[in-house]
Amino acid sequence: MNRTSSMKPALTVLAAIALALVPMPDALDPWRPYWAALVMIYWHLETSRLQQLGTAFVIGIALDLTTGTLLGQHALGLVIINFLVGRFRNRLRFFPPWQQALAVGALLFNDRIVQLWIIGLLERGWPDWTWWLPPLIGMLLWPWIFLLLDALRSQRRTVR
Amino acid sequence: MKNSPRVNNRGDRGTSFDAVGGTARLMFYSLLAISLMALDYRGQYVDRIRAVSGYVVEPMLWAVDLPFSGVERFASVWRDRAETQRRIRELERELVRARARLGRVPDLETENAQLRAVLETARRTEQEFIAAELASIDLDPFAHRLMVRRGRADGIRPGMPVIDARGVLGQVEQVFSRLSQVILISDPDHALPVQILPGGERTIAYGSGTLDRLRLTDLPMNASAEPGDLVVTSGIGGRFAPGLPVARIESIRRQPGQAFATADAMPLAAMDRNRLVLILKAENDPFTEPGGDGPSEEDAIDPHDETVTENESGAEDAAAPDAGDGP
Repeated sequence: MNRTSSMKPALTVLAAIALALVPMPDALDPWRPYWAALVMIYWHLETSRLQQLGTAFVIGIALDLTTGTLLGQHALGLVIINFLVGRFRNRLRFFPPWQQALAVGALLFNDRIVQLWIIGLLERGWPDWTWWLPPLIGMLLWPWIFLLLDALRSQRRTVR
Repeated sequence: MKNSPRVNNRGDRGTSFDAVGGTARLMFYSLLAISLMALDYRGQYVDRIRAVSGYVVEPMLWAVDLPFSGVERFASVWRDRAETQRRIRELERELVRARARLGRVPDLETENAQLRAVLETARRTEQEFIAAELASIDLDPFAHRLMVRRGRADGIRPGMPVIDARGVLGQVEQVFSRLSQVILISDPDHALPVQILPGGERTIAYGSGTLDRLRLTDLPMNASAEPGDLVVTSGIGGRFAPGLPVARIESIRRQPGQAFATADAMPLAAMDRNRLVLILKAENDPFTEPGGDGPSEEDAIDPHDETVTENESGAEDAAAPDAGDGP
């Protein structure tokens, strides 16, 4: 349960970073959920694998370097998310799925506010209403992502 | 890696135990992130991190781009023959039209050279360029960056101007071996020395953070600029050749009580709707005459520190725009 098991979180995080870069039609682009955060929240909640704030920081830096944002922008957001997940983990774990989705939505929404603050400080123009779509999409996707990653995780157990 | 997460892992009461250490770590990483952002915003020290990280980042970007470029290539191989021939005919027609339009250019060029000889100014430099396809990579929409499929291997260097068929798009910011990142002129970090035609006022065009607008600050109050005037690069700073079209003035504000007038301009380049861009090769230009007006390209403006040399405009404009630091 040590070396091989840490491969899966790493691979899913890599996939999440790739999903952040994959081109989408302009109309759909604002709907892109915050994949990295969703994946990180899952692993933290269910296996406490990516629970270190340092890990969140590193994932954030990787995301900053690839998507061309200010170095530390995603890192700050993910560190805060991970901290909050760690804080409320014991409660979140026993929520029914829809309630958990709401909580995840709240986390993502909070992250959006942090990001908005950074963008506001940089005077990079004020985003329009589509800015608030990703948390919503993330919330709606959460149960499915949860099931998907759960399946991925349990697959290992049966194989070994 | 420490014990506390383990405790957290086992017991359900772990969080209360971990709270103090957790908050301390949150503070630590938040401060780290914020100071990194501050350094990156100021454009100091962090360039090295980005340069080194390129070795890791590029394969990642490459992996995302690869399926798309592969599909494009595949599609072009299997494209219908009739479709291809129709396209060739279309392009040939376009070429003839463009040739006809350009027919007068050599004539004008010689005339221009003669006039410049009479005026004893340096000859305009001929521009060489590299065509570059956009990579299929979506960067952060608020980052005002593009990724193109040309890199160090193709002779791209940081600072090279990037244009499209209509106007200036930006400049190369970061170069990987086969990809490079372009900063758009609409980025608030970007400052471009420009000249307004036909008035001739020189100023700096700052990015506004929105793709369809540039901010021209520090115009003299008595500037003759009108909406509809053309904004071109002034060539001051040496990075961009003079006379490249940049934008068209949309509105100009002369507020009483202010020292300078400001204007908004609409970029001519199709900022985010291009498939192909041109990267101008500014360095090692065989046409540059030693002792000409072009300052050396190496120490010209960087997108981050906006130190634009404005030594010439001071004499001509009543108020020389002071290209200070960013906010």
